Amino acid sequence: MFADIKKLFSYRELLMSLTRKELKVKYRGSVLGFFWSLLNPILTMLVYSFVFSMVLRAGIEQFAIFLICALLPFNFLSNSVNYGSGSIVSNGNLVNKIYFPREILPLSVVFSNLVNFLFELAALFIVLSFMGYRFYLFLYILPVLIFIQFFLVVGMTLLVSALNVFFRDLQHLITIVMMVWFFGTPIIYPLSMVPERYQVYIKFINPMTIYAAYYRNIFYYVKYPENAGFPTLTETLTALGISIIIFFIGYFVFKKMEPRFAEEI
Amino acid sequence: MSTINNKIESPRSKDGIAVDVRSVSKKYRIYHEKLPSLKNTIIKGRRASYEEFLALDDVSLAIKHGHTVGIIGPNGSGKSTLLKLISKVIEPTRGEIVVNGPMSALLELGAGFHPDLTGKENIYINAAILGMRKRDVDSRLDEIIAFSELEKFIDTPVKNYSSGMYMRLGFSVAIHVNPDILLVDEVLAVGDQAFQAKCYKVIYDFMKRGKTIIIVSHDLDTISDLCSSVAFLKDGRLQDMGKPLDIVSKYRAFVEEIEHKRIIEQQRAARQQIFKSVIEKNRRIVSGDEISRLSNLSVDGQTLNRFGSGEAEITGIRILDRDGKEIDYCSFGDEITVSYDVIFKADVEDPIFGLRITDYRQNIIYGTNSRLQKVRPGDFGKGENISVSFDFRVTLMGGEYSLSPAVGYNDTRTYCDWVNDMFSLNVMHNNAAEGVCDLDPGIRISKTD
Repeated sequence: MFADIKKLFSYRELLMSLTRKELKVKYRGSVLGFFWSLLNPILTMLVYSFVFSMVLRAGIEQFAIFLICALLPFNFLSNSVNYGSGSIVSNGNLVNKIYFPREILPLSVVFSNLVNFLFELAALFIVLSFMGYRFYLFLYILPVLIFIQFFLVVGMTLLVSALNVFFRDLQHLITIVMMVWFFGTPIIYPLSMVPERYQVYIKFINPMTIYAAYYRNIFYYVKYPENAGFPTLTETLTALGISIIIFFIGYFVFKKMEPRFAEEI
Repeated sequence: MSTINNKIESPRSKDGIAVDVRSVSKKYRIYHEKLPSLKNTIIKGRRASYEEFLALDDVSLAIKHGHTVGIIGPNGSGKSTLLKLISKVIEPTRGEIVVNGPMSALLELGAGFHPDLTGKENIYINAAILGMRKRDVDSRLDEIIAFSELEKFIDTPVKNYSSGMYMRLGFSVAIHVNPDILLVDEVLAVGDQAFQAKCYKVIYDFMKRGKTIIIVSHDLDTISDLCSSVAFLKDGRLQDMGKPLDIVSKYRAFVEEIEHKRIIEQQRAARQQIFKSVIEKNRRIVSGDEISRLSNLSVDGQTLNRFGSGEAEITGIRILDRDGKEIDYCSFGDEITVSYDVIFKADVEDPIFGLRITDYRQNIIYGTNSRLQKVRPGDFGKGENISVSFDFRVTLMGGEYSLSPAVGYNDTRTYCDWVNDMFSLNVMHNNAAEGVCDLDPGIRISKTD
């Protein structure tokens, strides 16, 4: 594994170059392009805000902010997995002709989504500052949180990108799984709304539940401290453990299958 | 010295070997389904069924530093597989490959180009994929652009490029990577004449600077021009390796032979088709009541060259080699046997068995029969099956000849059965002379005074 990391490090310029390429292609047309990429989360936010504040009347203060601060980290995961799953197959001509560490392809997707996520967070900072949220109180947790979530995202993306080479119809399954994951994570609803006996499951099986809770505490509950409550240490360590296990599963599956990529594509 | 774990070493190994391929085999899986899918795997409870295909079979070759080596062979002989193995794109099933020194593979030009990005942006991506550092690209950017002759269009998205421009940019990046070992796969045919000349100059420069180059190409002239040695692959095996002219001429001979066999096979198939339909129709007529005197009978505008009383019938014919094995063609000097089967439908006294060889213009090359050869076969009764064999040494020039067997009555004028052009005899020959028959002369020239 150390050899892999060393090799990957020697190819860091390729990784950066491909990440830049992903971003450039996405933001073609510079600044405006970036705002276009914000459109998706903003529209999602507006739709859910309308449904939950006006139609269902869930009674959550500032639903838009409540939603967006958990939606953005989830989008980082789901975009990475969705775009990353095809990263090996769609670059078949590269994989087939030129040697380089294959994990660079899914990693460049993850990195470009990470950059995108950071930009979105920056935009969120600006909005929150105007609205008087004191999100900076817990901001020191954020880098650690993103770093831990990053391992989960990398693990998942490596796994699906490798499996996609051998099962081309995996794409359909991924879409469904990501939808279930989305609704299984307290993003459009608060964890307290889930019946007590089910809370255990979504807390201990789904690390995103814990991460979403952290993100929400950092950005949203600073204004509504009466509802705030950080996950317990056990919950946090479980989420961390599951993330690391997924990372290693993704990594080893990828490495196991890597030698046959060029032949199977 | 080389170690097994560390496959890339720098700068040079002491024994002067740049690329060492050690008894490498590569098996591919050919899947029966179009694309592997989860659905099928789950339904069938196993992965897609496949066949194994041995693309390379125990190939060993060592390439020294500073040498330019060409790899030739027919399609599917494993040339590209070998290059992919050397460039580490795929891994060998058996054996190992040691590469000493930085290597760059020109297997695909413009790898990783994104159509929406400009030429300049794509240079950086392509160069990174080929293993070039960004600062090296920065310092050589002008050179790369100048070589590609795309100064005007370098800030245009490459989707607006023509395919020639695209390839030129790809080639330009690739040759500026500056590796010690360069792998080239059929990419020299890039751009117009002038650009091609430039490409060759670059390859020559590489050679002059003592770089190692491995080229796969079907262009035999280029190969014999550039290379210091050539490897000839066939069916995944290394047939031969040596001086370019020797190997290239061996390969040419091989290709010609293949081509020749293919043509003969085609002709044979076509002829058999005609022959079959003729015999078929003939048999219908012969087995009817009008058996006698079917001379010059015409069916479908074709003169059916079969006639006779039908008291004996020729049912099959074949050519055998010395070991009695059936053959489709033969070469000058071969000992062959032409053998045909006869079934007697009535008692025939002391018949005569004949054979005539004609060329494609119906000129008689040779004809003889058992009477002329002073062979007395004796009498045959109704229902008797026999086979008649003529042994020859082939002294014909190359080409296709027709065989016409016949069974005659001992009055030497009437026939039981005569089949014209029943079978074709294909002769392979280098035709270093003209005519129909090779007299194989010795030529002596001496001064007379």
